[in-house]
Amino acid sequence: MELRPSRRSVLAGLLGSSTAASLPGAAWAQATPRRGGSLIVAADSEPRNLNPAIVASNGVFYVASKVIEPLAEQSYDGNGLAPRLATAWHGSPDGRSVTFTLRPGVTWHDGRPFSSADVAFSALEVWKKLQNLGRVVFKDLEAVDTPDATTAVLRFAKPTPFQLIQNALPALTAVVPKHVYEGSDINANPANTRLIGTGPFRFVEHRPGQFYRLERNPNYWDSGKPYLDAIVYRVLPDPGAVAAAIEANQIQLAAFSSVPLADLARIGRVPGVAVVTKGYEGITYQLTVEINHRRKELADVRVRRAISHAIDRKFVVDTVFLGYAETATGPVPKFDKQFHTADVTTPGFDPRRAEALLDEAGYRRGGDGVRFKLRLLPAPFFEQTRQFGDYLRQALRAVGIDAEIVRNDTPGHLRAVYTDHAFDLTVGSPVYRNDPAISTTILYQGGLPPGVPFSNQYGYNDPQMNALIAKAAETVDAGERSRIYRDFQKLAGEQQPIIHVAEFTFISVTRDRLRNVANNPRWATSNWADAWLAS
Amino acid sequence: MRAANRFFSGGGIVGTMLVAGVAIAALLAPVVAPGDPLALIGRPLIEPFTDWRFPLGTDRLGRDVLAELLHGARATLIVGGAAMLATLIVGIVIGTLAGFIGGTVDEALMRLADAFQSVPTFILALAFVSIAGPSLTSVVIAVSLGAWTAPARVLRAEILSLRRREFVDAYRVLGMAPLHIAFREVLPNALPPVITLAAVIVANAILVEAALSFLGLGNPNSVTWGAMIAEGRAVFRSAPFLSAIPGVAIVVTVLGVNLLGDAANDAINARQAQV
Repeated sequence: MELRPSRRSVLAGLLGSSTAASLPGAAWAQATPRRGGSLIVAADSEPRNLNPAIVASNGVFYVASKVIEPLAEQSYDGNGLAPRLATAWHGSPDGRSVTFTLRPGVTWHDGRPFSSADVAFSALEVWKKLQNLGRVVFKDLEAVDTPDATTAVLRFAKPTPFQLIQNALPALTAVVPKHVYEGSDINANPANTRLIGTGPFRFVEHRPGQFYRLERNPNYWDSGKPYLDAIVYRVLPDPGAVAAAIEANQIQLAAFSSVPLADLARIGRVPGVAVVTKGYEGITYQLTVEINHRRKELADVRVRRAISHAIDRKFVVDTVFLGYAETATGPVPKFDKQFHTADVTTPGFDPRRAEALLDEAGYRRGGDGVRFKLRLLPAPFFEQTRQFGDYLRQALRAVGIDAEIVRNDTPGHLRAVYTDHAFDLTVGSPVYRNDPAISTTILYQGGLPPGVPFSNQYGYNDPQMNALIAKAAETVDAGERSRIYRDFQKLAGEQQPIIHVAEFTFISVTRDRLRNVANNPRWATSNWADAWLAS
Repeated sequence: MRAANRFFSGGGIVGTMLVAGVAIAALLAPVVAPGDPLALIGRPLIEPFTDWRFPLGTDRLGRDVLAELLHGARATLIVGGAAMLATLIVGIVIGTLAGFIGGTVDEALMRLADAFQSVPTFILALAFVSIAGPSLTSVVIAVSLGAWTAPARVLRAEILSLRRREFVDAYRVLGMAPLHIAFREVLPNALPPVITLAAVIVANAILVEAALSFLGLGNPNSVTWGAMIAEGRAVFRSAPFLSAIPGVAIVVTVLGVNLLGDAANDAINARQAQV
């Protein structure tokens, strides 16, 4: 690839350091973090709005989480949270308020001091009103009291579980500066693309189609950090180019499975390259079969259970995901010890049982061996969702259901499924975000208006399910709330309104000079203050 | 006799053999590989020539590559043939009308052809399939949309040179209807050069169909070579045979059709020279 002059300066630092890395053994000799060096990573998308307080999505966090920080980050140890802008938090027993003690002595990248007023503004004006996920979680937020500069008290009109608020802290509570946004149209503010935050890195430059550049924040509150001088996100949308760039040591990290799964075994053997499967547990994706309950065949629970019996989850994990996934039994992934239960009656692989159930439901095989026909719409989001669509067609054919595949692009798919309901089965990939109430129960709750993407547009409306979801939403006690969600998983396992097939996260490919990789469950979308490059 | 000799010389024989081979593969598909070629029947990613049950190996989901290849030949030939027929019919009707009627009709039809020719064929096909949705019919229409202008223009030119001939005047004097003269008497004399275009159209249709399938715009419920290449791309560095085998099949077919077309062209030229 020919480099344009503008990229040369970006790459100059890398070329110098790559010669040092080729000295054998030098890379592993260092144990203490080294300051300095530019980290160059691959980026596959350039979101139009980069403000994580408005758009809580992984593509945005990947860049923005280094600049704008949340109140707390997920962690592998302790209670699962590490403090960031808040140092302590506790909820009142009635679920009407949550008090945050904020970190003192923090300044914004433009030099102004950070205070509780910024948290109050972000919560009321941004998370609650504008944020894709916050609109659900913070819907009952009424006011934020700021008795002093380091205390913020969130007050709710209805009891809101403290457990939910805690689980929402990493992804939903990015704090933006009040003095920059106040009095402007928040959605159109230029700071949505030229970020101003409190994080370890300052936003310096974005050249569309080329790169993002972040540089060290010398006044970061965690003194001594960050270790890196700069982070450069090179825009590389082509997976083949990403794999080649990391092999050639032009980049040191390819996150979010940007190297194709089929290439991992090979690239892992390249000297100096490491394949890391940890560090994404907090953003687990689920491969699901979503069902249109408006079809009379699919409204019958026996048919849904038969479809679930027809799917060989182990085969899917081994072939579609090449082993980089786990089989799933229900709407809460195994990683989430807080809520997950294995005590469910999700049907396992048993094609004979599937056929018996279909016969019992009254759908016998016709002369051509077909019981009934369905339209199957695999979501175009991942290569795996499309491939699983091909698998599912064959698996259903084996039990006498003829599923015809209909392919759409992303807007076409979203319209067909979530607005027009013009599907019978679809392959989906919802994200589980640390608490069932954030983006999971909305897939099961009945009576939602059409047109809301990634919500229950499946025509499923079960009083028992609705009651469980409503009860959990107002249960303040954490133990009781977890128990209700275990019942929710049992009911979902029994009724199979959505069939869970596999749970998968992403894989990172790194140069082994990059250290402190994957040290928290949302590593790729965390602040990287402690990441460093060995010389 | 000379025309026939021209046809069965070098290229013509090779072309005939290649196309016949593909046609036989397509015809034998249900015999050699009965059942659904997309069925998952083996261990995934078996290398070619290592397991006699799957001579060409299996793909990422454990589908038999040989079965996919044979059934893909059917899809390819059906698209090529149907697109050629559709293109020729549209091109012939428009070309004959434009050439024979002349005047405003000619102007209008030829400006329409200009409009279609000003858009690259593949972009036109891509746009049409994205709107109409992927299916055999839409792919055939998409290919014809960009291809009909060539036979229409060639035929119009032929007809323009024929319509002033004495035999046309003779039919007029006899009181024959103009459309009857155009389609029954003039058209057969103008056809030979258009027929040689048929091979180009078939070859082009096969390539466009493969490209559309490669981009995921083919019919997802049937096997096509383009889709096989796209599927294999993900594992290209570990299992290159998955893309290479259908790739070779496309090359062989397109080459065969082109050689056949050249031979037909030579034969027709020789016959015209004889006449």
